[in-house]
Amino acid sequence: MTEVPLDELGPVDYIVVEFPAGASSFTGEMAAELRALADSGTIRVIDVLILTKDADGTVEAAELSDIAELGELQAIEAELAELLAAEDVDNLAAAMEPGSTAGVLIWENLWAAPFASAVRRSGGQLIANGRIPIQAIIASIEAEQVTTTAGD
Amino acid sequence: MPLRPARVGRVGVIRAPVAKTAVVAAAVRPGPAPVAKTAVVAAAVTPGRVGRRRI
Repeated sequence: MTEVPLDELGPVDYIVVEFPAGASSFTGEMAAELRALADSGTIRVIDVLILTKDADGTVEAAELSDIAELGELQAIEAELAELLAAEDVDNLAAAMEPGSTAGVLIWENLWAAPFASAVRRSGGQLIANGRIPIQAIIASIEAEQVTTTAGD
Repeated sequence: MPLRPARVGRVGVIRAPVAKTAVVAAAVRPGPAPVAKTAVVAAAVTPGRVGRRRI
């Protein structure tokens, strides 16, 4: 992995994407899109784990390299930083349903790094961040539409 | 398949159990089809349209 000075590091995010038992349909589309994001310099993939939770709640973790046919992910796998520790596995798997499989993805937002560095150099510090779920936007718009309709 | 030895014994970065996001429950609530909802949001966030919110 390429070393990045800490003061130039962009925001690092993670997601846990669950695939319920029998509901996964891997066509390679996700891998291709992830590779495109990395190749374009939008993100840098820092770590990936694949988690499985048995019906009894037992969790097992696998490395990306354990997948037989990596395809588009081959180049990404070679650059992983292995940020996650073994003790992170149970915390990450807490959100999973029994019988499911999940992919854990950690990435650096390269697109935001120059701005984040500028903020730090200017004395700013991050005190809150988050994501607005698309469902929350939908709910807000729908509520507004109902209000508007009622006012007609 | 065990994790790589480098991951063992190291301090973790996920400090607490991860809670399942509420988004999942909201996504399956009754209402217009997801495609229709997506169109509504897309319209709402499109700049330059009169009467629409701009993000």
